Amino acid sequence: MSTIGQDSSDILAASAEPLRTTTSNAPERLRDDPKGRVYLNAAATGWPRAPGVVEAVTEALTEIPTHPGRTVGRVEDVVTECRHRLASLLKVDDPARIVLTMHATHALNLAFAGVDLGQNAHVVTTVTEHNSVLRPINHLQQNRGVRVSVIGLDQTGSLDLDAFDRALADQPALVAINHASNVTGRLNDVASLFAKAKAAGALTLLDASQSIGAVDVHPVTLHADLVAFTGHKGLHGPPGTGALYVTPHLTLRQEFVGGTGVRSDLALHPAEMPTRLEAGTPNVPALAGLAAALRWLEQHGEPFRARQNQLAVHLRHELAKLPGVHLFDPRIAERRIGATSFCVDGWSVDEAGSVLEESFGIVCRTGLHCAPLIHAAIGSAPAGTIRFSVSGFNRDEDLEQGLAAVSQLTACALSK
Amino acid sequence: MRIVQVKKVEDCFDGSSVYRYWFDTPWTRDAIMGLKALGDLEYFADFPRPFFRVCGHRGLHVKGVEGEDNCQAIFPKQGKEEIQNEFGDLIRTINETGTAI
Repeated sequence: MSTIGQDSSDILAASAEPLRTTTSNAPERLRDDPKGRVYLNAAATGWPRAPGVVEAVTEALTEIPTHPGRTVGRVEDVVTECRHRLASLLKVDDPARIVLTMHATHALNLAFAGVDLGQNAHVVTTVTEHNSVLRPINHLQQNRGVRVSVIGLDQTGSLDLDAFDRALADQPALVAINHASNVTGRLNDVASLFAKAKAAGALTLLDASQSIGAVDVHPVTLHADLVAFTGHKGLHGPPGTGALYVTPHLTLRQEFVGGTGVRSDLALHPAEMPTRLEAGTPNVPALAGLAAALRWLEQHGEPFRARQNQLAVHLRHELAKLPGVHLFDPRIAERRIGATSFCVDGWSVDEAGSVLEESFGIVCRTGLHCAPLIHAAIGSAPAGTIRFSVSGFNRDEDLEQGLAAVSQLTACALSK
Repeated sequence: MRIVQVKKVEDCFDGSSVYRYWFDTPWTRDAIMGLKALGDLEYFADFPRPFFRVCGHRGLHVKGVEGEDNCQAIFPKQGKEEIQNEFGDLIRTINETGTAI
């Protein structure tokens, strides 16, 4: 198996942080799974939801429905609150630059469809991207003749900076990169990459779906013109929520127009942000839930992040110790979010996933994780990986159970 | 055992097809042992919920969990219908007490 940087020195050089007990430093988890399963799939969806989310969604669904711009009442407050809290999270001065969307894919599509790329445009992206970035780019390539450069990884598992520099020399109109890989959890050095891209005259689009809530996502610091993310992963809000940040100097083309509840006298969709890019009745119950999640994170975000990081480091370290377990992109010391990918000798990825969930009650994810290009680079093609991903809500015993299950799988393989 | 529902899950790149089968009774240890006729059976009795998998002689793969009323079967492209029939026939030979006939 050819895997990047997979040698023992990488692993042994990293310092393991001992796992502390949850009682001292972990945020309180209000819910357990009634079936007793362990949730190690936070990179797919944050669970449980942040405290207050379920109640806020229920309240919004229980109250008499009102509509933003159409009815005076609490609903306007919910949408406005959500926008303002997201602006605060991103350290953005003007909340009107935050477009509320249905999910990250919606936000990314607004960005890709709305940017004026011009004729024969060049777009730069990376092998670490999710299909929510790759497919819109492929769509542009097929339908608008966009030229695409896909940056691979170097031998250390980082983005290939030489290839990136070469791509920038070809005057890209847009550089689209994710903040963190949903497969390996590794964080890209976005600030440095985007600074170079801006210097080369490109617009910059950040997919922060995996990083939002886990690390700082500040567009100005990161030199990001556009930032897309979802509300249901690291923010621990409901699905059906997301947002797109649009830098003040950029005007996106309107591709999605209709009712707005304001300026109904206009024949055309209003041009002002954020209404410019928002049409139709918003998902108010979900936004109420997201606002509740954001309120909670404002209070508890720092220990929550620290806890996630601590668990992720511990998980990688303990997995690396297990005979028959192979980490993909195993450099533990690299900056990461909570996702870790691996495989187990004697078990196909798919089968290991089934067994972990059905026999051991460990809910995780296996396969390509909607990120098809990274697997050739990290040595996990064509089957993909087993992915454990943690959040600050995970307890010590969640990891212990997950590790024990993997250990039992490896023991079976070794005993054959 | 009686097959009560069959649902195609997906087609794979290599031309094989994944199906999920549901039965009128849950898998017992004895019923699982009845699958030996299909090929190499592995039974992981030590798992919290015992897992089984069969690698069939002609590319058939079956896997499931004891106590569940379903399993997954992967049929190869080559001879798919015939192998599917053989699998169905074998299932029907496992009697109501869960013992393979």
